[in-house]
Amino acid sequence: MANTPLTPLEHELATLIIDTLELEDVTPSDIAPKAPLFGEGLGLDSIDALELGLALQKRYGIKLDNDAEDNREHFASLSSLAALVETRRVS
Amino acid sequence: MLGMKIMLSIYRRFGELPFLIALAPVSVYYWCRNPLARRASKEYQRRFRATYPDKPLPRLTTLRHFMAFGVTMLDKVRALHGEVALSQIDNLDRETMREAIESKQGGVILVTHIGNHEICQALSSSRDDLRLSLLMHTHHAQKFNALLKESRRPGAVDIIEVTDIGPDTAQRLKERIDGGGFVVIAADREPIGEQGRARSLNFLGAPAAFPEGAFWLTLLLRCPVYLLICARDGKTFNVHFEPLGDSRGVKRRERDSWIGEQMQQFAQRLEHYCTRYPLQWFNFYPFWSEAPERQKAQQSPGVCSKQPSENAHG
Repeated sequence: MANTPLTPLEHELATLIIDTLELEDVTPSDIAPKAPLFGEGLGLDSIDALELGLALQKRYGIKLDNDAEDNREHFASLSSLAALVETRRVS
Repeated sequence: MLGMKIMLSIYRRFGELPFLIALAPVSVYYWCRNPLARRASKEYQRRFRATYPDKPLPRLTTLRHFMAFGVTMLDKVRALHGEVALSQIDNLDRETMREAIESKQGGVILVTHIGNHEICQALSSSRDDLRLSLLMHTHHAQKFNALLKESRRPGAVDIIEVTDIGPDTAQRLKERIDGGGFVVIAADREPIGEQGRARSLNFLGAPAAFPEGAFWLTLLLRCPVYLLICARDGKTFNVHFEPLGDSRGVKRRERDSWIGEQMQQFAQRLEHYCTRYPLQWFNFYPFWSEAPERQKAQQSPGVCSKQPSENAHG
């Protein structure tokens, strides 16, 4: 996809996504920071979103709020996920 | 509902027999007014008779089926008011349940259209270490929450609406399980909303559409899975609690087949309990679909294919 360099946290999150969802033939550098993770971009679906939520809870202790719209924004791209982790991580 | 209140007070004042006598005309009324439910009941009987000719159903089955439903409504309300005594409950799998609770591994408990799993609320109050999260439809959830506020162990039962399960809900459920608690999900309800995926499984001799949702959730929560049935047996309630499987360690490429196996097993056990409690199958909606291909592939197929690769027809 794109070759925009990832920040260390984005790289870490890309690895987490790839490992959690067992994505084959995808490396962190294949994921552009602003590219959509769901739908067209990386092609994740709603079940992947649940799984990713569980992975964020396990790794960073992040608890998401009951706000579907907010969560959709957090999960939009690598960079929005990184922003979420930066502000909300407890571990 | 006024009718329910009147019926409940008849039961409380005069007992079971007058209640049943009053229930008969009420059932006839509903029988006349609900052609859809009547047809669903007839279809169930037809399939049941064809599959189990050696297990005779009583005469006037549809009407009796409606009456049994009336009785179960009463039981539900009584259970929620704490009027079902523990002495009325016969927990036939007490050991399995004890082990499941004491293992502290938590789990998903699948419940069904058979009988009346609300009765098990009474069981939950008998064990201080039993923590439950119930997934429910919104309008039910509000009613339940109001009733549960009056319960003596606030926090022991958590009601979650199932209209929209997002990552936040998954986290909440996972926390419950990690704490050794249980998540209760109705596994044979119609798929909720537009995102419901269903799989066609053989049930009483013909393919029926079973929703996949509960099984996907179970898979993601990585825990043991149990089946819970509570059905009336004369004046007592029988509780059945059995292990179905375990989603820990299921690899991504094994997910589809794991879900297929679990659903198949679930449908078989459901059928088994139908043969044991034939008139306590309380699904009055059309269940056997002529066109089981209702699976919706609105998710982008992208990374992995989660569409059932093969359906377990007949």
